Amino acid sequence: MIPTRLFLPALCLLLAACGGGSSTRVDDQNASASDFNWNMPGWVPLPMEPANNRITEEKFQLGRHLFYDTDLSGNGTISCESCHQQDKAFTDGRVRPVGATGEVHPRNAQSIANAAWLRTLTWGNPALTEIEQQIVVPLFGIDPVEHGINEANQDMVLARLQEKPEYQSLFAAAYPEQDDPLFGELAWQNIVRSLSSFVRGITSFRSDFDRYNAGEVGALSASAKRGMNLFNSERLECFHCHEGYTLTASVRDRRITPTVPAPFNNTGLYNIDGISGYPAPNTGKYELSGNPADMGRFRPQSLRNVALTAPYNHDGSTATLRDVIRNYAAGGRNITTPPHVGDGRMNVNKDPFIVSFTISEAEIDDVVAFLESLTDHELIDDPRYSNPWLEVTVQDTAP
Amino acid sequence: MKRVFLFSTVALAGAAQAHYIPTTQTPTTVDADLVATWRSASLVEEYDYWQVPGTLMGGHAWPAREGVQVDEMNLSLNHRIDENLFGGVGLASHPEGDDSHGGVELEHAYVGWIQSDGPWVAEVGRLSAAFSPSLMAHAAQRLASEAPLANDVFFGRHFHDDGARLWWHETAGVSAGAEIWRGKAFPATDSGDGGAWDVFARYQWQGERWSFQAGGWFYSAAAEARADHRYGGGHQHVPVAPPGQTATAFSDIRYTGDTDIQGLHMELAYRVSRDWRLALEGEWMRAKLDGVVHDAIGRQADLDGTQDGGWIQPSVHWRQHTFAVRAEQLTTDNDMVGPAAPQLGDESGLANPEEHDPRRFTAIWRWQWRDNVALRAEAVRDESLPETENRWTLGVIWQQRLWPVGPVGHNH
Repeated sequence: MIPTRLFLPALCLLLAACGGGSSTRVDDQNASASDFNWNMPGWVPLPMEPANNRITEEKFQLGRHLFYDTDLSGNGTISCESCHQQDKAFTDGRVRPVGATGEVHPRNAQSIANAAWLRTLTWGNPALTEIEQQIVVPLFGIDPVEHGINEANQDMVLARLQEKPEYQSLFAAAYPEQDDPLFGELAWQNIVRSLSSFVRGITSFRSDFDRYNAGEVGALSASAKRGMNLFNSERLECFHCHEGYTLTASVRDRRITPTVPAPFNNTGLYNIDGISGYPAPNTGKYELSGNPADMGRFRPQSLRNVALTAPYNHDGSTATLRDVIRNYAAGGRNITTPPHVGDGRMNVNKDPFIVSFTISEAEIDDVVAFLESLTDHELIDDPRYSNPWLEVTVQDTAP
Repeated sequence: MKRVFLFSTVALAGAAQAHYIPTTQTPTTVDADLVATWRSASLVEEYDYWQVPGTLMGGHAWPAREGVQVDEMNLSLNHRIDENLFGGVGLASHPEGDDSHGGVELEHAYVGWIQSDGPWVAEVGRLSAAFSPSLMAHAAQRLASEAPLANDVFFGRHFHDDGARLWWHETAGVSAGAEIWRGKAFPATDSGDGGAWDVFARYQWQGERWSFQAGGWFYSAAAEARADHRYGGGHQHVPVAPPGQTATAFSDIRYTGDTDIQGLHMELAYRVSRDWRLALEGEWMRAKLDGVVHDAIGRQADLDGTQDGGWIQPSVHWRQHTFAVRAEQLTTDNDMVGPAAPQLGDESGLANPEEHDPRRFTAIWRWQWRDNVALRAEAVRDESLPETENRWTLGVIWQQRLWPVGPVGHNH
C-alpha cells in the first residue's frame, strides 16, 4: 500500500507539471502588409520599395502607359516595350537589341519580370541596385543610345506626352500631392518613378513549377521532375546560382538582409587572349571595378520564364537552352573559330561550380523540360501588364 | 541466487554506461553492448524528415524506422593506469539517417585523475555529459529502446563532446561538479563564440528497501549558425526519391544564440520482496532560447523561446521481468520577431500552427532472458507530430563484460 500511495500522487503531480498550451507567435513587423495588388501568391515575400517611391496602383498604371509609349524616345520610334515584350516574358527575342538611333546594344535584353526582387539590375553593374536608378540609363544613356532622350530633345519629348489627354488624369491620380505633376519641374522624376513602379509591379509566380510546389503533384511531367532532380543534384550544381523562389541567387526582399556581396559569376564562356579575357565591352563586373578577377563575371539570371527568353547569356551568344546546358556540361565554352577564339574552360576566373559533368541527351531533355516548367503562361497574356494604348484604340473603334 | 542475478544485471548496466572508473583490483575492462529492435512502423514517411513542431532539432535525433534497426552498438575499453590515473576509449554506432550521417564514432577518449582517499575526480578528453543520467544512458541501459523526447529535442539524443570535468564524486551520497565543452555536441557549436558548460549536483540514498536519487543541473550553450546536421548543414541538396515518389526538401535554417537548459531528475525505488521491486523515475527540463534564426540568403528573425520537456516512468520488476510505462510531454512557447519570421518559422519547424503539445507514451516489457541477453517489447503511441502514430517493437539487448569475466568495478 505504501508504494501505491506514493506512486500515484507522484505520477499525477509530474504529469500535471508538464502542462500544455504550446504556441509560436510570429511578428513580421508588417513586412507582409501592402495595399498594392502584387498579383502573386501569398507565399511570395514582398519586394523592397524605396521610401521615396512607394508603389501605388495609380503610379503602376501611369507607368504602364509610359512603358508602351513610343513618344517616350528621342525620335518617337521606340518604347520600353521594344526590347521588353510581354509575349517573350519581357525580352525581345534578339541576340542584342537595337536603340532608337539604330545602335546595337552590346548586351542581350533581360526579362524585367520579377525585377523587384533582384539585388542588382543589370548584367554587370554592382552599383545599380534600384529600379529608379536603372530606368534613367535606357532613357538618357548615350553609350549605347537606347531611347535617345537628351538635353536637346527632352523638352520636345515631354511636350509630346503633355499633349496626350490620357496623361492629364493619369499623372494627377498618381501624384495627387503635386499641383502640376505633368507640367511641373518634377515631371521627369514622376515619369521615372512611375515607370519604376510598373516594372516593380510585374510579377511572375504562376508557373507549373509553382503549382507543383504548392502541392499539385501532377503539375510537373515525369520528365520535368527528373530534370528538377538533376538541376538540384551534386552533378549539375545548377541550383547554387539559380536558387530559391526567384531561381537566382541575386535576390532580396523585405525578409532578407543580405550579408554577402551581390553575386556575379564567370561561367567560362570566353578566354579570348589566353589570360581569361572577355570581348569588350562585355567584360562584366570588371567594366566598372577594374579588378582583373571580375573579368567575365555577370549576374546570375533568374530562370523563371527562361524558355521564352532566348537567346541566352549576356551577349545572346548561346542560341538555345540545350546549348546552355552543353556549355555547362563541358565546364565552359571552347571557341575554335574567329573572332573570339579561346578555351573558356580554362578561364581562371571561372566559378568553382562550373565544372564539367557527363549528361545524356535524354537527361538534357529532362532538364529542358524542367526549365520549361518555369514558364508563367498567364504572364504573357495578363491584361494587367499589356499595352494600354491598344485598349484605347479598341475602345475608340468600337461602335 | 535470483537476487544476485538481478543485482549483477543492474550493476552491469551501470558498468556499460557512458562513463566508468576502473578499480585498481580490476585495472582493465572491456565492455560491449548491442541493441537491435524491430519496429512495426516508421514515425515519418521515407524521404521525409522528423521535425517536432515548435522546436529546433539536430544532433542524432533520428526518427523511429520501420523494420529491424541496430539502435546502438558500444565497445568500450577502460584502464586504471595507476592509483590516481585512469583512461577510457569507447566506440559507438547509432542509427543512420537517409544520407549515411551516422556510422561508428569515437564517443569516449579521455584521461582522468582521481584523488587518493578523496572525493575529487578530474577528467579531460572526449566525454559523455554527466549532468543528466538520462542523457548519459544508452538504449541498452534504458527500459525503453527510444531516447526520451526531451533529450531528442533539446540535446539531439546523445551528448559526447571534447571537454573537461571536475567533480566531487559520490561521497556521502553526494556528487557535484562542473563541465566545460568545446561545443561539438548539439545544441552548441564549436565555432569561435560557441561552446558550452554545465554544473550539476545529485544525491543518492540506499536504504534496506527504499532507494532514492535526485539531482539538478544547469547547462548553457552558445551556437553560431548552428545547422540541423541530421538532414542539412553545409552542402545540402534536394533528396532524390525513386520514380513516383516525392522527396521533401529540407530547409537549411540556422540558429545563432544561447540555449540555457535546466533540469531536475529523480528516481525512487521500493523493494517489496525478494521478487518484487517498484520504481518511479523521471526528469524535467526547461530550455530557454535567446537568439536569431537565419538562413544563407540573409533572412533572419529574433527568437525568444521557452520549452519544457519531461518524462515519468513507473515500473514494476518481478524476477527477470520488468513492466513499465513511460509518459512524455513537451510544451513550447516561442516568439519570433522580424520581417522573415513567418517563413523562417515554417522552414525551421518553430511554427506550431496547430498549437500541438508533443507527447509520447511507451508501454514496456523487458525480460532478462540470459545473464547478458534481454528481450524487449514495446507499444508506443507517438504524438510527437500532430498526426498520431502507433507502433510495436521487439528487440534484443546484449550487454556483456568481455574482459575480465567476473565482478565489475566501481562505477558512476
